[in-house]
Amino acid sequence: MQKERDSRPVLARLTPWLIGAAVLIALFARIAFLISERGYTAAFFAGALLQSLQLGSLYALIALGYTMVYGIIRLINFAHGEVFMVGAFVSYFIFARTPYALPWALFAAALSTFGLMYVVSLWRGRLGDPLVLGTGIISFIALTLILSSSALGWIPALVLSMLITGVVGVLLDRVAYRPLRGAPRISLLITAIAMSFFLQNTGVLAFTRNVTAYRPETSWTQSMQFELVGQTVFGTRVVILVVLLTAALVVVLTMFVTRTRLGKAMRASAQDPEVAQMMGIDVNRVIATTFLLGSMLAAAAGVLWGMSYGTLSQPAVMGLLPGIKAFAAAVVGGIGSLPGAVIGGVLLGFMENFFTALIPGVTQYKDTFAFALLIIVLLIKPSGIVGEDLSEKV
Amino acid sequence: MAMLDIQGVSKSFGGLRAISDLSFSVEKGEIVSVIGPNGAGKTTLFNLITGVYRPDRGGIDFEGRTLVGNSPDKIVQRGIARTFQNLRLFTNLTVLDNILIPQHHKLHSNWLAAVLRTPGYLRKEREVHETALEKLSFFGPRLMSYRLHQPVINLSYANRRRTEMARAMATGAKLLLLDEPSAGMNPKETTEITRIIRRMRDEGGYTVLLVEHKMNVVGEISDRVVVLDYGEKIAEGTYRDVVDDPKVIEAYLGRKATRKGSSADAPTTGDEGRTGA
Amino acid sequence: MVQQRSVRNLLLTLAALAVVALVLYFVQEQGGSKMRQVFTLFAIWGTAAVSLNLINGTTGILSLGHHGFMLLGGYTTALLILPELNRLQIAASARSQLNDFTLGLSIENWARGLGLEALAAPEALWTRILIAMFIGGLVAAAFGLLVGIPSLRLRGDYLAIVTFGFGEIIRLLASTDLFAAFTNGSLGFTGVPSLMGKSLWWTFGILGLTVFVMSRLKFSSYGRALQGIREDEVAAQAMGVNLAYHKVLAFTLSAFFAGVAGGLYVSWLSSARLDSFLFFLTFFFLVAISVGGTGSVTGTLLGTALVVFVLQYGDPLERSYPLTTWTLALGALLLAAAGGAYVYRRINRLRPRLHPAVFVLAGMGLVTVLVAFAGPAVGWLEGNFRAFGLRRIFLAVLLLVIMVFRPNGVLGRSEFTWAWLLRERRDQPTDEERAQDAWLHNPALNKEGKEGIDAPEPAAHPLLERGEPGDDDDAGEEPPPVDEGRRT
Repeated sequence: MQKERDSRPVLARLTPWLIGAAVLIALFARIAFLISERGYTAAFFAGALLQSLQLGSLYALIALGYTMVYGIIRLINFAHGEVFMVGAFVSYFIFARTPYALPWALFAAALSTFGLMYVVSLWRGRLGDPLVLGTGIISFIALTLILSSSALGWIPALVLSMLITGVVGVLLDRVAYRPLRGAPRISLLITAIAMSFFLQNTGVLAFTRNVTAYRPETSWTQSMQFELVGQTVFGTRVVILVVLLTAALVVVLTMFVTRTRLGKAMRASAQDPEVAQMMGIDVNRVIATTFLLGSMLAAAAGVLWGMSYGTLSQPAVMGLLPGIKAFAAAVVGGIGSLPGAVIGGVLLGFMENFFTALIPGVTQYKDTFAFALLIIVLLIKPSGIVGEDLSEKV
Repeated sequence: MAMLDIQGVSKSFGGLRAISDLSFSVEKGEIVSVIGPNGAGKTTLFNLITGVYRPDRGGIDFEGRTLVGNSPDKIVQRGIARTFQNLRLFTNLTVLDNILIPQHHKLHSNWLAAVLRTPGYLRKEREVHETALEKLSFFGPRLMSYRLHQPVINLSYANRRRTEMARAMATGAKLLLLDEPSAGMNPKETTEITRIIRRMRDEGGYTVLLVEHKMNVVGEISDRVVVLDYGEKIAEGTYRDVVDDPKVIEAYLGRKATRKGSSADAPTTGDEGRTGA
Repeated sequence: MVQQRSVRNLLLTLAALAVVALVLYFVQEQGGSKMRQVFTLFAIWGTAAVSLNLINGTTGILSLGHHGFMLLGGYTTALLILPELNRLQIAASARSQLNDFTLGLSIENWARGLGLEALAAPEALWTRILIAMFIGGLVAAAFGLLVGIPSLRLRGDYLAIVTFGFGEIIRLLASTDLFAAFTNGSLGFTGVPSLMGKSLWWTFGILGLTVFVMSRLKFSSYGRALQGIREDEVAAQAMGVNLAYHKVLAFTLSAFFAGVAGGLYVSWLSSARLDSFLFFLTFFFLVAISVGGTGSVTGTLLGTALVVFVLQYGDPLERSYPLTTWTLALGALLLAAAGGAYVYRRINRLRPRLHPAVFVLAGMGLVTVLVAFAGPAVGWLEGNFRAFGLRRIFLAVLLLVIMVFRPNGVLGRSEFTWAWLLRERRDQPTDEERAQDAWLHNPALNKEGKEGIDAPEPAAHPLLERGEPGDDDDAGEEPPPVDEGRRT
């Protein structure tokens, strides 16, 4: 791809950076002033730091899904926030409502099995393949037994939720996005909005209309405290879980993308889907894999979100704000880039948490801030921190 | 004074110099062809003149005033219109609409007058319709009558090219930049398009700057030919002078080519690219 | 001929308007409150959807911030026509909560400063409400100008997200302390005079005005330029269309009418609340536009009618029914999907005709139906179930199906016009033209193979039959050549 050398004058080129620097300096000055005025302690900062890291990790997990999908099919998957919501609620229904009555266990097992068979059939070619049928039979029996026999803890709930939500993501691609390959990107975006709306309202229909308490039986959600330079820092243990699990998932994802054949095919398709197809890569399969992985990460984020904050808001609104913020994070980091998504997510978590913790009365502007940041980044530097500019070109 | 005056223009993309220190001029009423092997910078030149790119160095003057820094739509209003190498028509709109859109900038009424259909607006609307028909009639009846109301997507490839030329003419430009007007046309259609370009100048009074690969077209209608290679002007003059220039032959056929096969028809194969070098 | 046709069209239009007026009269005077509600909602949402269509359909920019424009227009109108009493209450509650700075910004001071408080006089007359709605539209238009500016730098999906962000920011900001003096926070206002929104004559009058302006604009030089931008931005600019001006014009005009629609909406609801202006409004308009026809004014009206119908008369879908009924319905749906897939594949001659999906769907459907019948016997599926949100799910699925199978909507880009209704097509040759074509393409007759270069001009320009008002019978006369090149 030919790159045009920036022929604008130096000042014009530097303007976005200058504005950004000015804003940052102003904010830091304000924070420094507040600290000096109110006398915040080191423990306060340590606590805020941990919380920021936690929130940032969650944003990063969701942002990875946005960035992977955008990297491959240039689609802002508007429904990704809703996939996150589905992940949270599926896990809730697994750990809080098991064991199920037999008909419900059968129904849930049948639905999940069909999805799983479909996903496996993507790699085996057809639904009638012995492996696909075998997977189907085993998973149907196993799921029915698991769901109907015993109460499950949060770890099986996490694993099952990741699987089921991954299947939901793949089906989303199959039903809504695959028929529109090659259509104008705007049509694709409209479809994504439709799917977002669909999942929101299906969530209301299938899950609940109320705010749900999310309390799996685990010691991870208990509070903890430790000493730091003579002061006590309060927090919850889940911070450690969130950060560790996120790091582990990101490492696994990176290994997958860089080391495996499918991962390499994925990167090739992100470069140029048409050429990748000509080189014998089944691009549809690669895209399905992308949706599978992205949705699994979103489901993990959903579970961790529930454990972190103890409640799930009602399905129609739960996915919207985390989704938009994670998308902002992906753009800030540079959409299409995996490290970018992680950096952007953590950065956004830090900004949101620190500003609301440090500047009193600013909490009500938190969401406005996320949208404003998104708009500003898109306008001033759509390529983000590490990414290249993937926005539509002439 | 030259109509279009290009002085020492350079443009590079990243490290690649697409145009370097190019100077030439086009007089009013001339047909000037720009030729050169693929990647010689011909389309970049058009993009520079029409304001899509801004030159790194050098100046482009049109009728004594500079064009540099003007936006593409402003340049059209100054009187330069172009066609595109790979057709950029408004494909879902009708032929007539395609010819009317380029005349929009001549409309002096505001949107409210357009909504209210004031007499001034209606007069102008009638005028632009007449101009549209006049420009389309350059190409005979094949774009007229019922075809006016067909979407461009239904037209044949050659008719789309013709529509695009009519569209450029309809802007009211004095200088037309035609980017490979005969690409994808068969010999008969090529002959016809050659005649039409000549008629554009003779009857329409247009000045034409042409990028073309087919040497018979270039040879037949050009008053002057400018040859580009790697963004540099390697020759300029009448067609006969230029095709006999050893540098031109080298650019097209490579260093080892003998002069035997170098006459008028040889560079036609320029599409296949350079062999040596 | 031309005049006959335009006279005929005028008469037909007048007749249609008369029929509409008659229907409105009966609905206003005789119809039940439900029917009046449906008609009013159609008119208000139709106004907003048709205005959104100018950006989304005609200019081809996906804008998702329309609910924000409506909110601005609605709140402005509400503030200006709110009776003195309600305004004082709001001011009192604001005074108890807010600091001096934000109070200084409050609407009271603004209204007094601009001399607009007279609009809120108790004997609120039509003209005053109209003025208030106009100002509401202007405020929205000013914001539309602001939102339009990013469209100069961004395009496509990024721009859509930016407009969405703007729409949401308006709503989020309106609930914060900074603007609570204007908006009364998330409580909003009640007691907005509703005589405008409750009158079908006014709502339909404004819908008619919007449709008039938008369709006139679409079929003017400006409309062509906007459609050129939709088709190919680069080409449009290369043909002298000033992108910045036209995009911002589209945003501003569209926002103006959205603001007016917001004013009507607030007046109809007789309250202004932030949760009346959620994103789902824009989503419904998007469904209306996409289903009816992207870029088609009449198509958008058609789509709005569908959306309003589904939302208003679809409530039986969301009542409480026994679980067996739901299971049966689900089974029937699955079986219907299997049948539909089979028929679709058969019509489009796809192989294999019996795709595995057909079997899977049919199998799942059969099992579900079986469960529905056998369930109660075994003690399964007892109790009732309410399917909340089924109407919205239906609309979402509808949008998906339209985008997959008919991306340009039912009417596509064409309009529902009299000529279209009477099957008058100008893109097909007449017999005479067909004969001329035959001559051109017949080597025996056209020996030189001239392809009509030197062939005589067609006798009459069919273009002049287009029926532009004021187009008289100067057909056949060759216009004097207008040529910029020769003049200089």
